[in-house]
Amino acid sequence: MSMDIAAMADLATATIRIATPLLFAALGGLLSEKAGTFAVGIEGMMLAGAFSGAISAFVFGNVALGFALAALGGAVTGSLLAFATARCRADQMVTGLAVNVLVLGLSSFLLRGLFGGRAPVIRLTPPAAWPSPWLSDLPVLGPVLFRQPAIVYLAFLLVVPVALFLAKTRAGLILRAVGENPEAAFAAGSDPVRIRMRAIIAGGALAGLGGAVLALQEVGSFTDGMTNGRGFIALAAILVGRWTPVGAMAGCLIFGFVTALELRAQSWGLPVSSYVMQMMPYCLALALLAGISRSARLPASIGIPFIRH
Amino acid sequence: MSSLSGVDAPNNGLPPGKVAAFNTADLLRRALAGTATRAILAVALALLITAILILIAGKNPLLAYAALLKGAFGSLDRIIFGLNKSTPYILAGLGVALCFRANVINIGAEGQIAVGGIGATAVALSGLALPGFLLMPMALVAGAACGALWAGVAAFISLKRGVHEVLCTLLLNFVGVLLVSEVLHGRLGEQGAGFPQSPLLPRTTWLPKLVAGTDLHIGIVLAVGAALACHILFWRTTFGFRLRIMGASRNAARYVGISNMRQTMRVMLLAGGLAGLAGGVEVLGVHYRLIEGFSAGFGFNAVGVALLASLNPMAVLPAGLFIGFLEAGALAMQREVGVPSSLVFVIQGLTMVFVLCALGLRGERSKV
Repeated sequence: MSMDIAAMADLATATIRIATPLLFAALGGLLSEKAGTFAVGIEGMMLAGAFSGAISAFVFGNVALGFALAALGGAVTGSLLAFATARCRADQMVTGLAVNVLVLGLSSFLLRGLFGGRAPVIRLTPPAAWPSPWLSDLPVLGPVLFRQPAIVYLAFLLVVPVALFLAKTRAGLILRAVGENPEAAFAAGSDPVRIRMRAIIAGGALAGLGGAVLALQEVGSFTDGMTNGRGFIALAAILVGRWTPVGAMAGCLIFGFVTALELRAQSWGLPVSSYVMQMMPYCLALALLAGISRSARLPASIGIPFIRH
Repeated sequence: MSSLSGVDAPNNGLPPGKVAAFNTADLLRRALAGTATRAILAVALALLITAILILIAGKNPLLAYAALLKGAFGSLDRIIFGLNKSTPYILAGLGVALCFRANVINIGAEGQIAVGGIGATAVALSGLALPGFLLMPMALVAGAACGALWAGVAAFISLKRGVHEVLCTLLLNFVGVLLVSEVLHGRLGEQGAGFPQSPLLPRTTWLPKLVAGTDLHIGIVLAVGAALACHILFWRTTFGFRLRIMGASRNAARYVGISNMRQTMRVMLLAGGLAGLAGGVEVLGVHYRLIEGFSAGFGFNAVGVALLASLNPMAVLPAGLFIGFLEAGALAMQREVGVPSSLVFVIQGLTMVFVLCALGLRGERSKV
């Protein structure tokens, strides 16, 4: 019995750890989607964050700086996407995809080009877990929830301000208005193009942080294309969570759980191949989306470029 | 209306139909002129920016591009390499172009190619006692069928459950690629190969060579044929006409009695079939076996090719050749000058963003 509890606690800890980069990305994507831009580009923004975070932490030997520059890298990627989709009205989905590949190529190229043609061996020490005082001593829950690295708490705490921002502030209301009915927002005196751009760039910074969690906290290195579809899973989490921050968090936890299960299933000796297990998060995402999609309501003007008449 | 499906709405109007029936050449010229200008400008701008990147990496961009050109066209072997590389991009790109025209954003070519490769391999290895001239086409058909099936699954989920087709196709890409690994570690795998691959396919199932004594297989002929067929299908048939109306406005299509669902399913099946065929061609013509990860990057290239062609089926041909030769040249550039070949992704990504911006801005002008 105690064995089972230990295994479950281990599973829960892994779930939270795996959900963290997804959660940053999903919150970032949520800002972008609420303002009316599909967030297909979060995969690229995450990868940009992972790259700039890992490289700067490697070069300057400072992980905190790594996180900061990761947010910057994500924001820069976001601004390219924002300029193309909001200003030039480029197709949001396909531009997102193009930016993803652009970042994939650029990070792989710079990883070699900046270091004289050969990719350096990057080994970073992940920041240690930061047990929160007295909470970490709780039985079972303590080790699972409160002996995590600081960035994990940040990710989950961030859900609250993002939710409050969207629901309770004037700026959040305008952002949502731009996603629902940009003409009305325009008539009320705000500039939908600028607001969409800001939302995408802020979302990019968050997604960049998500990438940094992956590179600096989980893996401690950077490899080509290391996000490997996590951005798309975050995107699915937004949909599963019906465009609310708390829902997106739940979605990320579900996908984190399935991935954690997948990683452990091998050692449990299940008669399923590892490739079938690796398909699980994607199949689950499809199944969940198929289950909820009819009842989910997209921001009304998502995907439609705003044109000032 | 999406900025994608309205590529040439203002000047070409909907049907070239009966009025322009005798005027195909002129229509084609006009359609391609805008496309070509857009594509050339986008590529030039992308090459300019990547030149700066090459400088940052401490290499001479002129030398790098010279090596790229030489690697793409330097000898007959290189040209043949480029042609073979272009073939799957053209085939899959055609399907993507038709889907985008109908405003169905299918980015699932990667998975469809992967599954198509599985289908072709399974038939080629089935040991059916058939003469090669039958088994080879059957393998290609199986590839196309599997690709179509994969696209059909995405379309089904998307249409029946209202999940956006972008997510369906994206997620199924990952599943399709993993499926290749799964079958290679199971039924189709070669024992003791040390690398996830199938056994060598029987020689009779290999695609015949177009020029004896070279590597050039008949895939490029299939690609040209497919481009012609898609051109006619899109501009000269009721189905193409329906797709064009659907791309211009779903409501208008519904109003004139076109079932958006049925057309979406059809165009997805067609695109999946073409992508699956591309997978089959790659397996039977280039590798002669199924290899893990053989489809990596193909799906994105298909989208890139379709966009570079401004979604004109005939223009997919030169666009596919461009991307194919660009990749062939980049591999040589990496060998000769030491500039990482991942630069190709940068060039492609930038080109696509520029084309998309141009299409978006153009959509605005047509409305004013």
